[in-house]
Amino acid sequence: MTNSSTTINTPIALTSSSSVFSKVAQRFKMLLITRKSLVVGVSIIATITILCFFAPMLAPYNPLQPVGTPFSPPFHSFLFGSDSIGRDELSRVLAGMKSSWFSALEVIASGVIIGGSVGLIAGSSRGFLDNLLMRITDAFLSLPGPILAIAVVAALGPSLTHTLIAVSVVWWPFYARIVRGEINAQMSRPHVEAARLSGAGRTRLMIFHLLPGAIPAIVVTASLDVGNLILTLAGLSFLGLGAPAPAPELGAMAARNLPYLLQDWWTSVMPAIGIFILAFLSNVCGDLIRAGLEEL
Amino acid sequence: MNRLRFIAKRLLAAAVIVIFLIAAMFLLEHMSKLDPAHAYLGAGASSQAVAAERIKLGLNRPILVQFVDYLGHVLTGNFGISYRTRNPVFSDIKEYLPNTIELAVFSLILAVLLGLLLGLASTLKIRGFRLIQFILISGASTPVFLLAYLGILIFYAKLHILPASGMTSYQSYPTGPTGMLLVDSLLHLDFGLFFNSLQYIILPGLSLAIVPALSIGRVLRGSLLTTMRQDFIRTARSKGLNESRVFLRHALRNSIGPALSMIGLQAGLLLASDVVVEQIFSWPGVGYYIAQSIPVGDFPAISGVTIFFGIFYVLINTLVDIGQQLADPRIRT
Repeated sequence: MTNSSTTINTPIALTSSSSVFSKVAQRFKMLLITRKSLVVGVSIIATITILCFFAPMLAPYNPLQPVGTPFSPPFHSFLFGSDSIGRDELSRVLAGMKSSWFSALEVIASGVIIGGSVGLIAGSSRGFLDNLLMRITDAFLSLPGPILAIAVVAALGPSLTHTLIAVSVVWWPFYARIVRGEINAQMSRPHVEAARLSGAGRTRLMIFHLLPGAIPAIVVTASLDVGNLILTLAGLSFLGLGAPAPAPELGAMAARNLPYLLQDWWTSVMPAIGIFILAFLSNVCGDLIRAGLEEL
Repeated sequence: MNRLRFIAKRLLAAAVIVIFLIAAMFLLEHMSKLDPAHAYLGAGASSQAVAAERIKLGLNRPILVQFVDYLGHVLTGNFGISYRTRNPVFSDIKEYLPNTIELAVFSLILAVLLGLLLGLASTLKIRGFRLIQFILISGASTPVFLLAYLGILIFYAKLHILPASGMTSYQSYPTGPTGMLLVDSLLHLDFGLFFNSLQYIILPGLSLAIVPALSIGRVLRGSLLTTMRQDFIRTARSKGLNESRVFLRHALRNSIGPALSMIGLQAGLLLASDVVVEQIFSWPGVGYYIAQSIPVGDFPAISGVTIFFGIFYVLINTLVDIGQQLADPRIRT
């Protein structure tokens, strides 16, 4: 076993780096031809991530400091106007978009890791362990997640970290269910049986033979989920379950400026539009990625 | 017999989940940094008074004893005393609940109607169905408060045709048997009040309904497209039935199932956006109650509402499950 794998590995290790690059480029070209929408979807998501990461540098002003007259309407001295104490709305929305986007990615990542491991373990082990893990998953799934998250944050005390923990606690079961279904379907496939017969242990079986088959489903679910999650987090932030007052959070900004809605609409509508843009783009990308993975 | 066993199994599972939820709330209350004794007595209480209050509340007993006690209290409708209103949480919820039911039922009906309309319109490839698809995906990405804000700005601030806060402009109204203003005003034959409160429910109801309507429409569109490719549709067409009959009698009936289970799923999301919408429109419901409790950390109120909503949600989904099983025995869970 070890012998054969080294003989396979040697030629690859010996090839020059330029040919490895050309191989990668070739693979990428193939991908671009056969799964165009997948590539487009992933690149839009990557672009948003990079833009959000550098958003504070793109912002014209400091999001926490007053820089002009309060309630200056949009398109005058500030593109998005200014808020009740004269802070630049655009800078605050950009900073809020960064925090929204990365919060959503964090929760997705923890959902994929926790739910994925639970699903993988449950799906690959029949009987008691499978039953136990899936009953726990079902119990979480049959409760209203966002409401449960409200209770968790209220108990821990409001802060962005606690909100992320609370939402992660209610978010992973969804992934556990999907991964477990995929793994279960893989278990009866011939390649898994062949691997088992050739002496692969359980861990090896799980990581190298079962997990790869579940990855497309995980990617599709996660990419369709980002938009949902952004909206849920914004809703919790709107209710005051997020970072405390001066921090630029989109949901909280929309809620705190509600008293000024009728006179100075931009103070509360602009943050909400920021959320809309993020959720809309990620929903479009989710659809593209799903279409791309289902094309073949 | 098999059906009875299935129903019994589902109900038992629902009961276990509710107890799981109550246990979770109990654990959260213990993890919470806020000491209930302190919360009831206020910040200026002496340490002796706090210690006495802890004994009175039974906080010095073993945790398992406390849990059994808590479970018994919750199951008999004792959710504790709210830190904020100083009333029993259960009676607070009982007061606010009819308003929430009214709003939720109203928006669920709106959502189903709009969803059917959207699903049909986007499948029938009528002119502008691309536009409908665009509306579907952008609506699914709109935060509920943006919908509410736009509704307020357009229909209240600009057009002055709909009110944006509260339930009615009437100062005194009959308090009827249900506590729901729309139903009670009809029962008392007070049509002025009925139309008045109907105006007040439109904006919050519509803001709540749009997102579920869009996802119902999306699911319906997907299953309709699958059904339309089936053999029996071809058979129906070759029999010479006209297109609308094929569509309504054959296709729609066979594709409504997934949309129905979507409604059950949407109930959970509806609860979450209900809290936001009630807060925006000052709609005196349970969502408003919990939204007011969050900033002051009123945990008994929050956990009470969570348990209430949880039971409601578990019940709805159990009923949807049982209903689907009875309607279509091919579904095996």
